[in-house]
Amino acid sequence: MRESLAGSFVGTSVKRVEDERLLTGAGSYIGDLKVEGMAHAAFLRSPYAHATIERINAAAAQRLPGVIDIITGEEMQAITNPFVPLGMIDGLYTPLFWPLAIDRVRMVGDPIAIVIAESRYIAEDAIQLIEVDYEPLPTVANMAEATRAGAEQIWPRADGNVMFRTEADYGDVDAVFASADRVISETFESHRHSNQPMETRGSLAEVTPDEVIFHSAAQNSHGLRWVLAMATSSEPVLDSVKELAGPGRDKLKAFGAGAKAFITERKDDLGDADNKGFIHQVRHDPTTLKHLGKVFMNVLAQDERRRPRVVADDIGGAFGVKGHPGREDAALLAAALKLNRSIKWIEDRNEHLTVGGMAREETLSVQVAVNDDGELLGLKVDMTMDQGAYPAVPFGAATFAGIMRVMMPGTYRFKAYSMKAAAIASNKAKYVAYRGPWANETWVRERMLDVVARELGLSPTELRLRNMYGVDELPTKMLTGPTLDVRMSAKATLEKAIEVAGIDDFRAAQAKARENGHLLGIGFSTYHEGAPGPPDYADAILPGSGAMMAEPLTTVLEADGTVSVITAQMPHGQSHETTLAQVAADQLGVAMDQVRVIFGDTAKTDFSLLGTGGSRGGPMGGGATLFAARGLRDRILDEAADMLEANRGDLEITDGAIHVAGVPSISKSFAEVAEVVRTRPGSTEPLTGSVEYDGGPGGWVQATHVAFVDIDIETGFVTIPRYVVVEDCGELINPAIVEGQVRGGVAQGVGAVFYEKSAYDDDANFQAGTFMDYLIPTAMEIPDIEIHHLETPSDIEANFRGVGEGGMIGSPAALTNAVEDALAHLGVRITEQHLPPTRILELAGVIAPA
Amino acid sequence: MKMPTFTYHRPATVAEALAVLASEDDAKILAGGQSLIPLMAMRIGQPEHLVDIGRLDELDYIERRDDHIAVGALTRHAAAEDSALVQTGAPLLAAALGHVGHRAIRTRGTVCGSLAHADPAAELPAVALATGATFIARSTAGEREIPAADFFQGYLDTALEPNEMLAEVRFPLWPDRAGAAVVELSRRHGDYALVGLAAAIDLDDAGTIGGAALAFFGVGSLAVRIAEAEESLLDKTPGAEAFAAAGRIVTETIDAVGDNHGSAAYRNHIAGVLTTRGLAEAFDSIGDRV
Amino acid sequence: MTDTPTPALRVDPGGRIGVSMTVNGTAISTDVEVRRTLADVLRDDLDLTGTHVGCEHGVCGACTVAVDGQPVRACLLLAVQVDGTEITTIEGLANPDGSLGPLQQAFHDAHGFQCAFCAPGVLITTASLLETNPTPTRDEIKAELSGNLCRCTGYHSIIESVETAVRLTAAGAKSTDGGDEEASNA
Repeated sequence: MRESLAGSFVGTSVKRVEDERLLTGAGSYIGDLKVEGMAHAAFLRSPYAHATIERINAAAAQRLPGVIDIITGEEMQAITNPFVPLGMIDGLYTPLFWPLAIDRVRMVGDPIAIVIAESRYIAEDAIQLIEVDYEPLPTVANMAEATRAGAEQIWPRADGNVMFRTEADYGDVDAVFASADRVISETFESHRHSNQPMETRGSLAEVTPDEVIFHSAAQNSHGLRWVLAMATSSEPVLDSVKELAGPGRDKLKAFGAGAKAFITERKDDLGDADNKGFIHQVRHDPTTLKHLGKVFMNVLAQDERRRPRVVADDIGGAFGVKGHPGREDAALLAAALKLNRSIKWIEDRNEHLTVGGMAREETLSVQVAVNDDGELLGLKVDMTMDQGAYPAVPFGAATFAGIMRVMMPGTYRFKAYSMKAAAIASNKAKYVAYRGPWANETWVRERMLDVVARELGLSPTELRLRNMYGVDELPTKMLTGPTLDVRMSAKATLEKAIEVAGIDDFRAAQAKARENGHLLGIGFSTYHEGAPGPPDYADAILPGSGAMMAEPLTTVLEADGTVSVITAQMPHGQSHETTLAQVAADQLGVAMDQVRVIFGDTAKTDFSLLGTGGSRGGPMGGGATLFAARGLRDRILDEAADMLEANRGDLEITDGAIHVAGVPSISKSFAEVAEVVRTRPGSTEPLTGSVEYDGGPGGWVQATHVAFVDIDIETGFVTIPRYVVVEDCGELINPAIVEGQVRGGVAQGVGAVFYEKSAYDDDANFQAGTFMDYLIPTAMEIPDIEIHHLETPSDIEANFRGVGEGGMIGSPAALTNAVEDALAHLGVRITEQHLPPTRILELAGVIAPA
Repeated sequence: MKMPTFTYHRPATVAEALAVLASEDDAKILAGGQSLIPLMAMRIGQPEHLVDIGRLDELDYIERRDDHIAVGALTRHAAAEDSALVQTGAPLLAAALGHVGHRAIRTRGTVCGSLAHADPAAELPAVALATGATFIARSTAGEREIPAADFFQGYLDTALEPNEMLAEVRFPLWPDRAGAAVVELSRRHGDYALVGLAAAIDLDDAGTIGGAALAFFGVGSLAVRIAEAEESLLDKTPGAEAFAAAGRIVTETIDAVGDNHGSAAYRNHIAGVLTTRGLAEAFDSIGDRV
Repeated sequence: MTDTPTPALRVDPGGRIGVSMTVNGTAISTDVEVRRTLADVLRDDLDLTGTHVGCEHGVCGACTVAVDGQPVRACLLLAVQVDGTEITTIEGLANPDGSLGPLQQAFHDAHGFQCAFCAPGVLITTASLLETNPTPTRDEIKAELSGNLCRCTGYHSIIESVETAVRLTAAGAKSTDGGDEEASNA
């Protein structure tokens, strides 16, 4: 298929390259893969939230025809390493744990045994035949219990159940608070909910005579590769160590740019901060040192076979959850290596709901110092996060606390700010990244601003306008460090949103509807997001982390004249095969069908620690493509100049034909250039253009959301008659794809606020293990979403900013603010994020609280 | 989430199906399977025998008889939903069917299967209760009739014996001056109801209320009728005042059970709201029919 | 009780049974274990992996296929239950030459999907809807598709795609391959 003439793809809604296979059922998702001799795995999981394992008897299960092997915790411990902490942050203790529970289960769904069988059906039969004796322990079901005196301690080496503590001050907080007319306080709670892509997690460890290929629905194949290598590495043999220490530096090289970033660059950059995290960890668990040393030595020295090649192909959504290597992945690889056999594991929905990963369970106490005229002065936040039993790999709650700390003040002119944060352990599933993992900074700030406005008798939009940085004040710096550059247009999005919202008309309709038992409400929320953020953004979160943020990308002129864009990005719905091809095609002056985007295979792509996440696809992937393709264009033109005997500067490319400007009749094609390069005596390497793109000037993406709600006060049901997003993500690569990302994010926010909850009871028993209990909204519940694009003019090249997460960052605040607006005349203040019908009627005083 | 093993029976006649039920312990009828299969895949239910009646076309019928509409064991929801006989002869059933799951469930799920499954949050048991339907249980020993009021015994529990098949359900022919409505609130479109109501109301010659049936689902382990509210309506002039009064009685009486999707107080409250709304809708439907 | 009739068919646990069906126009006979679902048989035995399994308990709708023209959940059916039927899956919606069929083309034109894991169910549900109701309203489309969960799109683009299909059918027009030049910046 040939899209319109080359040279003008960026900015148009080019139809998706991916569709040809995905719309015909020819996609290649992890569950679709089959390899020779493939066995199937299933996990026996704990029905208890907290218990010791007294005895496991798998004899009957082992005898079941079709069962190949059953590996339980002790054997797994012998053939794997614990997950060693990679992100050591001051104040964080990360417990060491193995792929399977060994003598104690810490959550419902904790994996106890992996069963390998000829079919998944037989594996599940065998699971029913394994006998486990448990001795139940007291449970820790929530944050209040976790920190109660005498609470059962989940990790013996921790400080009680507190796994992480941090504190930071910006400005003279005490003085600013003392100077304020008043201080307004409130505590907000957000509930556990989860990503729930339509495809669950899954992997296939393929064992071939030559290599081990770990196919996985992974957002970041390189990250998964190294975590797996570390988890399954075994003692190096003496020869390997010699080789490592000897003149052959190949293995060190092979360790890759990422390991270099980890070990070398961090050591240079981090100084004291890094050591503090390391010391904190080792003080709590000295064996960390032993395991770290062993794991890294092993990984460096070990047999290549033990470092799997990771291949990811089509992925059925992820929203963050597939950026975390699973304990199941490590168990699967260890089993495959033990049995020398290919094994597939596809998580079922009950497993995914129960242990796949959950997010956002946080309590935040907020104090705002403000003058009576509405001038915001100071902000204090004290946050507790419930990270569940096992920390996510490789990064978890503590990392996201850092982003929240930096982003919490938003684009408002606070004079002083302090944040305290703690993460506690509970007998629940792991806390993972979910679409804007730090999003509660926006929810809490924007919710709190409405509370403040109401107390001061100001309108919520008036309070925001009065305190938000306007373009005339830019550039400036956030109190927390990052630069707000001249393209930071949060206020412009708010002004536009106010204009399109029609507040006066709405207020008239609101008054009228009340007579009919319908309570209408309007809610605003404004945020900015570092996608990718300015150059000083990452280091404000974690000093030295900026070094890890670069995006590698290589473009190659293939022998047939097509261009490959080889990216470390890992698309899982974002349509990179289309958008990156648009950028490359424009740079190279070729048609879309002359560009192919290659991703997912660690044998083909450059190392990146990040893959796709953090809304990096557009800004980092797009920017890297632009500059790499430009480099390739230069090399192609150099070659063509020789071939055409023309001045390099006189050449241009029109629809794939390289010619002297104004003389299109004499031209060379990309294929002809490739042929000359390929057949040249000596080097036959194809022409390439590569970058390690650092994001350039980067910048912010910003938006204002306006939610309109209609509450039926008899039933507590909420509908959303209108929803408006005004956003500025810079230059749009593909408007239809941008809008799809925005709408999808808002839909997940609607789900979070009104439908979805990963509910546990008071004994930490999980209550939402089916899609009849965990309520993903349907086409009937999601409103039409109106989108207005702003673009702040700029001559910056690659002025792309990310839109993957924003929809979900902005929506919970807009929606809960709208609900409060609808109920405000009843004296209602909304302090929780989840508002199912029961809660609405309780808040409205229609029914008694349960 | 894979099905456990079982012995599969595919009888060629109803008699053969009944024979399997008689001879095997722990046998279940597989008709539409829309409730049974997921329960088995989650290994919550693991019957040793499945009796697939999917080939027994003689059980797939909707018939109008002297005083009732009969629905056979293999009649799918979608077939009943599209049936003119059901719409005219059993309008309360017709009103309920559109609320049952989604189309792709209704194309396979059966009316009798849904009744025999007896999920307290499902629509059809309440319809059976409200209309006074009769259940025909058949075994190798013969046939017996079970009134709706006796059929539902508890959560997913009915009066059917292990050797019996629910062969047919009979809905009494709808009176002329009567209205029907099924109203429900579910968290999402197509979900089981938080609370639902199958409401029937009929008028006497004077135009006052001659009888009313209010059967609620989603409020506990069984669908329930609230007699106090039904009686409160007798001889009243149909209208907002009488309906609201009945709603208040329902809220005070029904004693619903709460869960993660709705508290007990919430369910009690909206049972009353639905009473008012359902009665109004049922009353309005009379005009369409007379 | 008199003589107990012998059941026509009895298969012991773990036993297999022959199943014949027409899948996307091709007659297929295969031996399956009686407990295997239609979804698993389509995907694993017949290599028709376009039908996806998202929840295995009948809620998400990703596995929806058409059996004798009616949409059903392939995870809630045993393969033995569809013996003798005609089945259509997402693979069967393409043109005979493998190119995008009209409905698939509409979803392509309107940027219907993102990850597209839900696509098989959405497409089959839509095809069934349009067969019985060629000109559904927006509300009817939403109601019919409410049995198919999508986690990426917020449904807007899916609904637009169905409306595009309705328009294309009504116009009898064939979509062209030209780029979509619609203005985007407000």
